[in-house]
Amino acid sequence: MRRLLYMIPVAIGISIIAFLTMYAAGDPIALIKAGKPNINEATLSGLRTYYGLDKPIPLQYVNWLMNILQLNFGKSLYGGLPVNQIIGPRIWPTIELQIVSLLIAFAVSIPIAVQSARKPYSKQDVAVTSFSLFGVSMPTFWFGLILIIVFSFTLGWFPSAGSQGVAGFVWWGNSFFDQIAHLILPVAVLVYVSLAQNIRLIRANMLEVLRSDYILAARASGLSERKVVYSYALRNAITPAITFLGIALGGMIAGAPMTEYVFSWPGLGRQYVTSTLNLDFPTIMGITMIITVMTLIANLIMDVLYVYIDPRVRIR
Amino acid sequence: MTETLLKVEGLKTYFYTEAGIVKAVDGVSFDVRKGETLGLVGESGSGKTVTSLSVLRIVPKPGRIVEGKIELKGENLLAKSEKEMQSIRGREIAMIFQDPSSSLVPVYTVETQLRDVLSAHEKISKDDAHKKILDLMNLVGIPEAEIRMREFPHQFSGGMKQRVAIARALALEPELLFADEPTTALDVTIQAQVLDLLEDLKKKMGMSLVMITHDMGIIAKMTSRVVVMYAGNVAEIAKTDDLYYRPRHPYTALLLAAVPRLDRKKTLSIIPGNIPNLIEPPSGCRFHPRCEFATKKCEEAPPVLEEVEPDHFVACYEWKNITLKGETGKND
Amino acid sequence: MNLENEKPNGGGKRRSASQWAVAWRRFRRNKAGVAGLVIVLAVVFIGIFGDFIAPYPAYPANGAFGPFYKGDVRTAPNSHYLMGTDVLGTDVFSDILHGTKFALYVGVVVTIITMAIAILVGAVAGYFGSWVDNVLMRITEVFLVFPSLLFILIFVRVFTLGGGAGSSFNFLGISVPFGLTIVVVVLAIFNWPGDARMIRGEFLRVRELEFVEAEKALGAGNRRIIFRHILPNILSSIIVVASLTIAYAILLEAGVSFLGFGDVSTMTWGQILENNFSDMRIVWWAEVFPGLAILITVFGFNLLGDGLSDALNPRLRD
Repeated sequence: MRRLLYMIPVAIGISIIAFLTMYAAGDPIALIKAGKPNINEATLSGLRTYYGLDKPIPLQYVNWLMNILQLNFGKSLYGGLPVNQIIGPRIWPTIELQIVSLLIAFAVSIPIAVQSARKPYSKQDVAVTSFSLFGVSMPTFWFGLILIIVFSFTLGWFPSAGSQGVAGFVWWGNSFFDQIAHLILPVAVLVYVSLAQNIRLIRANMLEVLRSDYILAARASGLSERKVVYSYALRNAITPAITFLGIALGGMIAGAPMTEYVFSWPGLGRQYVTSTLNLDFPTIMGITMIITVMTLIANLIMDVLYVYIDPRVRIR
Repeated sequence: MTETLLKVEGLKTYFYTEAGIVKAVDGVSFDVRKGETLGLVGESGSGKTVTSLSVLRIVPKPGRIVEGKIELKGENLLAKSEKEMQSIRGREIAMIFQDPSSSLVPVYTVETQLRDVLSAHEKISKDDAHKKILDLMNLVGIPEAEIRMREFPHQFSGGMKQRVAIARALALEPELLFADEPTTALDVTIQAQVLDLLEDLKKKMGMSLVMITHDMGIIAKMTSRVVVMYAGNVAEIAKTDDLYYRPRHPYTALLLAAVPRLDRKKTLSIIPGNIPNLIEPPSGCRFHPRCEFATKKCEEAPPVLEEVEPDHFVACYEWKNITLKGETGKND
Repeated sequence: MNLENEKPNGGGKRRSASQWAVAWRRFRRNKAGVAGLVIVLAVVFIGIFGDFIAPYPAYPANGAFGPFYKGDVRTAPNSHYLMGTDVLGTDVFSDILHGTKFALYVGVVVTIITMAIAILVGAVAGYFGSWVDNVLMRITEVFLVFPSLLFILIFVRVFTLGGGAGSSFNFLGISVPFGLTIVVVVLAIFNWPGDARMIRGEFLRVRELEFVEAEKALGAGNRRIIFRHILPNILSSIIVVASLTIAYAILLEAGVSFLGFGDVSTMTWGQILENNFSDMRIVWWAEVFPGLAILITVFGFNLLGDGLSDALNPRLRD
């Protein structure tokens, strides 16, 4: 698979840039010192040897890369826990949040975009387009804050933080419902944001496709409106959206810090924010690489889907 | 006189664009008789395609049929519900489009697309549909039909794609077929094959064919009667022979003079001026700004079609006063 | 579609003055676009005069309350403090007015840098084509699949380490906060690839037009063709993208600041949100109003961008 081969240099490129970022900043140990002025010199030089920072840079990179390939990200500079143990339990919550949101957003956006495209510039369409422009203009995290203020603080319907009830307190008296209750607000935020993007994209594609000759020809053959719109037009309008979806999913995963931070969601994004503020480089690099790989996998899945949906790519 | 299949009267189809109302078809009348091949000729922008889309009632937005009467075997199509129209499209009236590369859906196999048309009109099992599609593909001359029907449009050549499009149009043996410049997008060598195929199928199925074209050569080869359109109006209707040898409308004469011929060493004439802006069309006869015979009257009110000899109609005030040159040889 | 009402395409050399006039007339009829323009003009006005309109001065950098502040911390909105006071005791309404200039600074400067890189890369790739195009486009693709927010955060964090917060430099007599400038540069570095692809596409389109071929045949140099002939022709697309980029940059800066990576001593709207986040159960007004300011501003630029797009590239519309 050509695309798979193409991802390897991308991954290597990102890993080099990620690695060099540390050096662009100067000596990581000096950075720790800047962050924690009263740390003593002996500890620092101990750290230097421990992390292999006394070796030449290319060698450090190779060592680091080798370790990463064995899924060994080293130990956190804070608390000394292995990075794996920090990252491991946070991967699933992030994926869970993203996948649920993405699926809901996609399912909801299709009928809305289709209806909107069928009657362009009608009242309903204008409402939908302004709503989606509004959506892309809204800071993600701020929408989260508003939801928390309204539904959590004021109405008390949903929990405002975490992924499950704490200290014996279980929302809605059942641990399954409790999980769902915790998902609702963060999912709502992510859905609204990507809903807006999806609608704008699919609507634009639908408008284009509905103007094409094959739609006219399908109508001329007596196909029902339903068949024309949902089977012929939509299938063609969604194809370009699939590639975009890969980028969007990547963007959502990479954008996880915002939502996770607002809702104290125990995922990779929130951990990334904490670790970056602390300049905990092994953890930062670990999360960066995991998220990069997740983004690449997402892109790969979309590519496979694309090939499946568009025969012109499959057979030449 | 043969039976009338389709009768169009005073058809007006306008496009409500941001820039203004485009009067693409503005008062068009003609009829199509059973079993005949009628030519619909004119420059691009004269309203030929929009006329055929109007008959099928699939004018795309922001276009709308504003006025007129369209009767198929005496039944008014404009009074039909959308559901009734769906069962007429494809089964009684079908259409072939100009560019086969864009008129077939890229993401479905040929078999799927043809089956969709069949099952839109009748309950048909997958096996029966398969057999019927096989027959259809053989009928339109696609070799190795059994294999090729499982392929996608982009795997076909231009000529083969147009054959598929023809198969789709003929799937339910319609009585009337609109062919909208069916060969314009094809290689010259393929054009003749496709035209022969159409002619052949038309005879086999006994349907009526409306050839939409700007190519006077195709008109001469295929049609028995011609409707000449100009800027959304009908300029002249006549038997093909009459039209060629005794054109009555100045525009028709210019069209004929613009056709290159090997046996005539004369310089090819061009029609001066451009097709008019259809948002604010010229007053009176829409052709008057480009017409060498135009008089004051032509600018004032649009002329109506009048019968100048049996089966020969022309919309021109001056037809009696002018002598027009048709094809050489039998000119009278 | 072969609708028979295609108008002949102008294909002329450059958008003449009258074409701009036509675009303006088309834009004026677009209510949403005009609303966007009004919002943007209002924001620019507040950006320039906000410091004078604001009922209270900006939060004093040394932490000392000025004579206007009574140390009213966490006051709900009332007649004195239209939008309440925040955890530091500053007037939220004044903060928003003072912060407007920073939002504009972020939007405009990020866009200038982004567009400069994007035009350079897009022009070179689109004009020269072949392997140059290939290499440059592969690079932008890497950037596009890049988890850029992660890198923005780490870059900002690392580069603001050596102080920077609190200090400022003079540019044409205007005091510019140093920390915020670092954020702006980092945002621009990660923001150009998408725009570069768009400009490359436009270059490819215009390069094929006849007049460019003619210029080449007449022996005009590459630089002359790019700057004198192609760029003016894609100016309309650049204006549209620039407007949308301003909107995006303001959003992104707010996010970076909200996560705690911004310039702590520069009260951008995102920074106000961050400062009050942990106390938002009480000071909800300090979260709601600055966010609204971001929303309205970004919405304005997006509306303007869409309106311009409709007016300048009518081929996209019916």
